[in-house]
Amino acid sequence: MALFETRGLTKRFLGVTAVDAVDLTVEAGELVSLIGPNGSGKTTLFNCVTGYLAPDAGRVTFCGRDVTGLAAHRIARLGIGRTFQLVSVFPRLSAIENLLTFLQQHQEESLVGRLVRAPRVRRLEAAAVERARSLLDSVGLGGRAESLAGTLSYGQRKLLAFAAALMPDPELLLLDEPAAAVNPTMIEQMKAQIRALHRQGKTVVLVEHNMDVVMDISERVVVLDHGQKIAEGPPDVVRRDPKVVEAYFGR
Amino acid sequence: MRAVRWGLGSAALVAVPWIVAATLPGQQRYVLHVLIFTALYGALALSYDLVVGHVGSLSLAHPAFFGLGAYTAALLATEGRWPFAAALPAGVAVAALVALAVGVPMFRLTEHSFAMGTLGFAIVTQVVATNWVDFTHGPLCVTGIPKPQVGVLRIATLPAFYWMGLVVLALVALLYRGLTTFRLGRAFHAVRDNETLAAAASIDPLRYRMLAFVIGGGVAGGVGALYVSYVGVLCPGELTVSLSVNLLVMIFLGGVGSLRGVLVGAAAFTALPEILRMAPTWRMVIYGLLLLVIVIRAPDGLEGLIRRGSPLGRRASGAR
Repeated sequence: MALFETRGLTKRFLGVTAVDAVDLTVEAGELVSLIGPNGSGKTTLFNCVTGYLAPDAGRVTFCGRDVTGLAAHRIARLGIGRTFQLVSVFPRLSAIENLLTFLQQHQEESLVGRLVRAPRVRRLEAAAVERARSLLDSVGLGGRAESLAGTLSYGQRKLLAFAAALMPDPELLLLDEPAAAVNPTMIEQMKAQIRALHRQGKTVVLVEHNMDVVMDISERVVVLDHGQKIAEGPPDVVRRDPKVVEAYFGR
Repeated sequence: MRAVRWGLGSAALVAVPWIVAATLPGQQRYVLHVLIFTALYGALALSYDLVVGHVGSLSLAHPAFFGLGAYTAALLATEGRWPFAAALPAGVAVAALVALAVGVPMFRLTEHSFAMGTLGFAIVTQVVATNWVDFTHGPLCVTGIPKPQVGVLRIATLPAFYWMGLVVLALVALLYRGLTTFRLGRAFHAVRDNETLAAAASIDPLRYRMLAFVIGGGVAGGVGALYVSYVGVLCPGELTVSLSVNLLVMIFLGGVGSLRGVLVGAAAFTALPEILRMAPTWRMVIYGLLLLVIVIRAPDGLEGLIRRGSPLGRRASGAR
């Protein structure tokens, strides 16, 4: 059984069909890229499967469970992590607090327990801090743990957002343009991070425009155009597919 | 060292009635009265800042919750002959329950609509308090509200009310600190700073907004109940929108989202109008000018000035 699946997923905005009956299947441990020209519905698809938009038709299943139309925080709690295209951090929290924020809801405690800082909550917090430090180290931000996230550079914030999404150890990670507007060194670092995740057996789906990244790291590529899936397969096959070439360069 | 400073500070606060009696013999009643108001306003401003400063929802409904607690406690104590120990929690409970009921539809609105919606609720509450004469006595006011008595402890003198105010303020400050730091604080601040990302972090934004709104409302109701037990009279005029304005001035000019800032703001803007009574003609003019100066010189509030450690801010940082 596939880890993650959409069947006939459709989203319309005032007559424009942004996502048009898309069937997407992702097996556990896969590394899949979702590509397509601007406006082809990649981010809309992400938003539909993570609860930020309610799909107009179709179903989304995760681990065999129907998650169609669940609220975003509920889907996150089930183990689907995501990052955003526009770099997204909590600017007034420190780097490490950004990460901690991502874990605590998964260790849901009673309100009073958190209010009076019960010993159990303190132990969870200490473990979370340890995990956050090691994740910050792994993305090279160990030295900036106490800096306010708003003071980090664009690339650093992007790495921070990535590390934060990893905090609750999600089964499936959806990355929306992890390499966009990032300098070449940072792109290499990001690629290494994604590969490392893949090696650990995590399932990753990424939306990406940078073809070098896509062709380099993905096992399978899915191509959207005008909301429809037009091609799917290994990178070098998809690259030569006439329909894909046409979508990108015209006839 | 810290503990010693805290100990000395608390001892000084507790000793205020005697210090005032020794230094300002003729003014004792008046000074204590202002201090009691400061403590109650401080607690009320902290409860308001939970909503405005920590989850970032500009609610204007706070006078309504204050009023609901005040009316509940006042009517139960006078007509129902309830003891204070029961009337106070009833005031808290009614205000919190109404906050819960009002919050569900209100939080479907965003930003400005939320402010307008809560303003509407505050106005409706005041209109009901004014016009439902059979129940609230309307403009005739609820009078003869008894002084608090808990067991053998009767709070009737000014120093006693002062100590009660101090205890209440300390409890509310503890609650405020507990809610706005550590894990709960992070969740509140995540919702305030980036709701979309908060949801991706599994945080339910509505849940935390409601939590702040209901706790803030309940505390405001409790302060209302204490307020009427001190003043002894409750009129619908206490619930006007101008209370919201006062609270906004306190928290924004004190330092939104900061315990010390809000307390400084509450103290400054309760005491200031009183101090200015010495110049009756120019009082409101001076008050207005001072507000302007603070807004221009310290846009992040008095707390920002304290942090920068200079009395009126340096030119470079003060003027933008």
